[in-house]
Amino acid sequence: MEMLRIEGLYKRFGDKEVLRGLELSVPEHSIFGFIGKNGAGKTTTMKTVLGLLKADMGEIFVNGERVLYGKTDTNRYVGYLPDVPEFYSFMTAKEYLRFCGEITGMSQKENASRTDALLSLVGLSKETHRIAGFSRGMKQRLGIAQALLNKPKLLICDEPTSALDPVGRKEILDILLAVKEQTTVLFSTHILSDVERICTDVAFLNEGTAILQGKPADIKGGLQTKEYRIETKGAEGTALLQNAFGGMRKIDENKIIFSENDHDLSDVLRFMADQRIALLKMDQPEKSLEELFLEVTKK
Amino acid sequence: MNALIAFIKKEFFEQIRSNKLLILLMIFFAFGIMNPAIAKITPWLLEMLADSLAESGMTVTGVTVSAMDSWVQFFKNIPMALIAFVLMESAIFTKEYATGTLVLSLTKGLARYKVVISKTAVLLFTWSAGYFLCYGITYAYNAYFWDNAVAKNLFFSIVCQWLFGIFIIALMVFFSTVSTANTGVLLGTGGTVFACYLIGLVQKANKYLPTMLMDGNSLIHGTKSAEEYTAAIIITAAITLSLFAASIPVFNKKRL
Ligand SMILES: Nc1ncnc2c1ncn2[C@@H]1O[C@H](COP(=O)(O)OP(=O)(O)OP(=O)(O)O)[C@@H](O)[C@H]1O
Ligand SMILES: [Mg+2]
Repeated sequence: MEMLRIEGLYKRFGDKEVLRGLELSVPEHSIFGFIGKNGAGKTTTMKTVLGLLKADMGEIFVNGERVLYGKTDTNRYVGYLPDVPEFYSFMTAKEYLRFCGEITGMSQKENASRTDALLSLVGLSKETHRIAGFSRGMKQRLGIAQALLNKPKLLICDEPTSALDPVGRKEILDILLAVKEQTTVLFSTHILSDVERICTDVAFLNEGTAILQGKPADIKGGLQTKEYRIETKGAEGTALLQNAFGGMRKIDENKIIFSENDHDLSDVLRFMADQRIALLKMDQPEKSLEELFLEVTKK
Repeated sequence: MNALIAFIKKEFFEQIRSNKLLILLMIFFAFGIMNPAIAKITPWLLEMLADSLAESGMTVTGVTVSAMDSWVQFFKNIPMALIAFVLMESAIFTKEYATGTLVLSLTKGLARYKVVISKTAVLLFTWSAGYFLCYGITYAYNAYFWDNAVAKNLFFSIVCQWLFGIFIIALMVFFSTVSTANTGVLLGTGGTVFACYLIGLVQKANKYLPTMLMDGNSLIHGTKSAEEYTAAIIITAAITLSLFAASIPVFNKKRL
């Protein structure tokens, strides 16, 4: 089932077209990485999903229910962590979570136990100071806690790891991984190593549309033109191969690369066997998401 | 219902922890004492100045003051307290727009109209508490020093002035839903009152304007009767209610 579906979403600010027919489908229990450059429209998309911005055109469904601008009904399924979370600075972390619980209509008992559980999950249970004195990392962790408070079916995090040091980033990614069983996670980022680490699904946002969407493995597989890298023992073998097969690229004195469009792998291997060229290593080099992202956004 | 109570509680919490409530009550308290105090020291002041006044050809003879002088001070000073109130509370919405704190509450399913109701309720409470504190103190001192009976229509004039404060709150709430910045709220509220003042320069229009309600002095002196205020009261109440009613749909469509 889909937890979030976006159909033909358009949004412009003045004469700046930010979203141009964005289509997005977030499956249930996925960790969905929403990737895009600065200014690509990630925050805009998320705010529209939350009913905070008015779409010019298009429809959004959360858990099958249509999102209406200015109405907050669908938000009962959603937990949201904004890019720069701001809380009532005159409260303590515990008071703030309690307040959030009361707003969502939790019972006193549930509120108390949930608040305590989440505070220890994000490591703020010993913090008794007011939020006014919190660091960015602490605010980000409190942000996750408040987003998870009402056990949302869909957790939307806007660049949750951008402001954090490597340890803080890992902590947040671990939290997201941990909650995968209970909720669907949609998070935006431009840190692709984070995506490779935890995402089950990704979409690349570029020029207002999702140019690539699916499982990371499929995307990588689908986009790679199959290339083989062969390492021979000594430079002579490489030279022989280059002479026999046109279009082979030499990348080191005993390493060459060729595309499967140019030559059949079995032909090459047969030739090597006939000529008694010693094979040290053969593999298919894989491009990282980062390289793919740069490649597809360049054109 | 629980969400509404929670949000109202949060608003009060904020008023208390930011010391706004304390400061406002102190201002109203100070004015409450000042009104009778000024009346009380007026004869003494004039006596002190008698010599220099005599030189300029004025003679001061046995000035007597009554509760009336104190009430005149009250109606002169309360607009200043009201301005202090507006300045201190004008950011009650816009501060949340600027920091983005409201977004988190709304995305938790808090209905937008509850935000408007909560903040309005807190403003009404704060204004009423401060205003009646000021009134109570002035009344008590007046009763102690003199006799409050000299002031005609006293309670009615007090209610009129209070109603004017509620009209100001309605303007603050409405302009808070329309504009995104604090300056917009101040300009809108101040501008409307100034417009009333300009229209009021035409004598005939005066009795239909909300600003008429601030003229408590004519009431206590008896130069105007309570009936003459009926039109202004009805019009002010109608505008106030319309502003509150309009604030909710405007806020519902607001981009946050
Ligand atoms: N309220 C607004 N008024 C005018 N333009 C806006 C507004 N909000 C966003 N934009 C523009 O829309 C574009 C997309 O902004 P958005 O914040 O959605 O990008 P983003 O993908 O979240 O970027 P980042 O990685 O920097 O957070 C930007 O070019 C921005 O200038
Ligand atoms: Mg953003």
